[in-house]
Amino acid sequence: MQASEAKAIEVTDLTVAYQDQPVLWDIDLDVPPSVLLAIVGPNGAGKTTLIKAILGLVRPAAGNVLIYGKPYEAQRRIVGYVPQRGSVDWDFPTNVLDVVMMGRYGALGWVRRPGKQERELAMHALEKVGMDAYTNRQISQLSGGQQQRVFLARALVQDATIYLMDEPFQGVDATTERAIVTLLQEFREKGKTVVVVHHDLQTVTDYFDWVMLLNIRRIASGPVDETFTPENLRTTYGGRVAFITK
Amino acid sequence: MANLSILIHLDYTLMIVAIGAALLGAVSGSLGTYAVLRRQSLLGDAISHAALPGIAIAFLLTGSKTPLILVLGAALAGWLGTLLILSIVRLTRIKYDSALGIVLSTFFGFGLVLHTLIQRTGNANQAGLDTFLFGQAATILESDVWTIGILGGIAIIIMLVFWKELKLLVFDEGFAASLGFPIRVLDILLTSLLVVAIVLGLQAVGAVLMSAMLVAPAVAARQWTNKLSVMMFLAACFGALAGVSGTIISSSASRIPTGPTIVLCATVVVGFSIAFALNRGLLWDWIRHQRNKQSLKVATDRLLKQPQRGSE
Repeated sequence: MQASEAKAIEVTDLTVAYQDQPVLWDIDLDVPPSVLLAIVGPNGAGKTTLIKAILGLVRPAAGNVLIYGKPYEAQRRIVGYVPQRGSVDWDFPTNVLDVVMMGRYGALGWVRRPGKQERELAMHALEKVGMDAYTNRQISQLSGGQQQRVFLARALVQDATIYLMDEPFQGVDATTERAIVTLLQEFREKGKTVVVVHHDLQTVTDYFDWVMLLNIRRIASGPVDETFTPENLRTTYGGRVAFITK
Repeated sequence: MANLSILIHLDYTLMIVAIGAALLGAVSGSLGTYAVLRRQSLLGDAISHAALPGIAIAFLLTGSKTPLILVLGAALAGWLGTLLILSIVRLTRIKYDSALGIVLSTFFGFGLVLHTLIQRTGNANQAGLDTFLFGQAATILESDVWTIGILGGIAIIIMLVFWKELKLLVFDEGFAASLGFPIRVLDILLTSLLVVAIVLGLQAVGAVLMSAMLVAPAVAARQWTNKLSVMMFLAACFGALAGVSGTIISSSASRIPTGPTIVLCATVVVGFSIAFALNRGLLWDWIRHQRNKQSLKVATDRLLKQPQRGSE
């Protein structure tokens, strides 16, 4: 038991299928504490599904997920989630501050409404992502990068130990990309573990210290310098990607 | 003030009818807000059509036309229809819109058959059941107003109690689930509240047009505000307004069915809001467009007047 508690996330034999099509096949993944892990793979590789399976949002056909040695249901409070930006309707009638405060809803529990304390936490988080000037802005008036930073601020107020982020770098501006990277590094320094679905192969070595190569099956996972090899990439992408190593 | 005193001096029946229509307009307007935001406008249509056989069966079983019993039958059938739609989507490969269509037409057709059967039996009691098709607000009695007020009030109170949870469900379902909120339970709760709003309105507005009472006030309200609570309040007001004005107009002319009249009144509110609302209205868009064109023209003129520099 001691060994498994030292792992932030432990996925064993995980298989997920939509109708009869397997999306994830027999995945094993150990994530040690305080690493930044990128999940990399082609479209349809099951990256989002893996994150959702860790969060218990999709029901696996087989397999098991442990967060610090316990099932997700028992560890909810220490796990934060940043869904894909495109998964919500940004024309919803609400403002930036309100969305960020949603990150406290789990801690608040049923029926209790956010108050002064939640507002302060949200303001602080917005400052951190450089969005404090947009507190009362309608979310429909935000750019893509600003939307992403609002989602990050919402995750920040969750004050989690483990973060799962689905494509936070997707279509963001340079300012936002820098803000996210700074935040990720800060997380690691504080001993937090971050799992990020990532698309840009060029930045993997700069931003992350661990990587998982996924294409329905796990091709490889481990420290970037050992795992992020041209050979593994070729296996993952089926040789279709001409990858230029630096 | 003059208008108010006219209202007070109107006869008692019309007062009751107007209060009932206002209440159900407010209930369906506020609950319809979530239906619109979840892009489930058509679900309301399916529920109201699915409720029809429930009314007939409740009447056949009890032989009574007590509104509460008929409403209960309607609610059960409407709820069953909704669950059927949700399970068809979840368990088969049939898409949401097809599932809606299947359930809507099957239940509605069954309802029509039952109503015809009831009419054939020549039961003296049956007269009035067909008001549930197109609505007849003139049949609203004081007891109906109580039913609408109490059941609608309970539905709204439940919605306010779970305000935070329902808002999160509608805005970001996946995030809500990751926080541990049981989204399936919340989904069923929200849909059930919708069912309540719909069946309460069936008598006055009718199954065919009831969904407009959910959608129209919320669509109009969205034009005027960017805040959920304000949107819901406005939708309730618009719903009540449409309810009262539709009732008064339909009762002043000779037996125009109330449902269509109320819906037409709601449509006027929607049309006005789409055309003239600040920021989101068409007029506003046009003004903004003209302004942009103007400033673009000024800028290009200035650019063209500059002497040509550099070489080709």
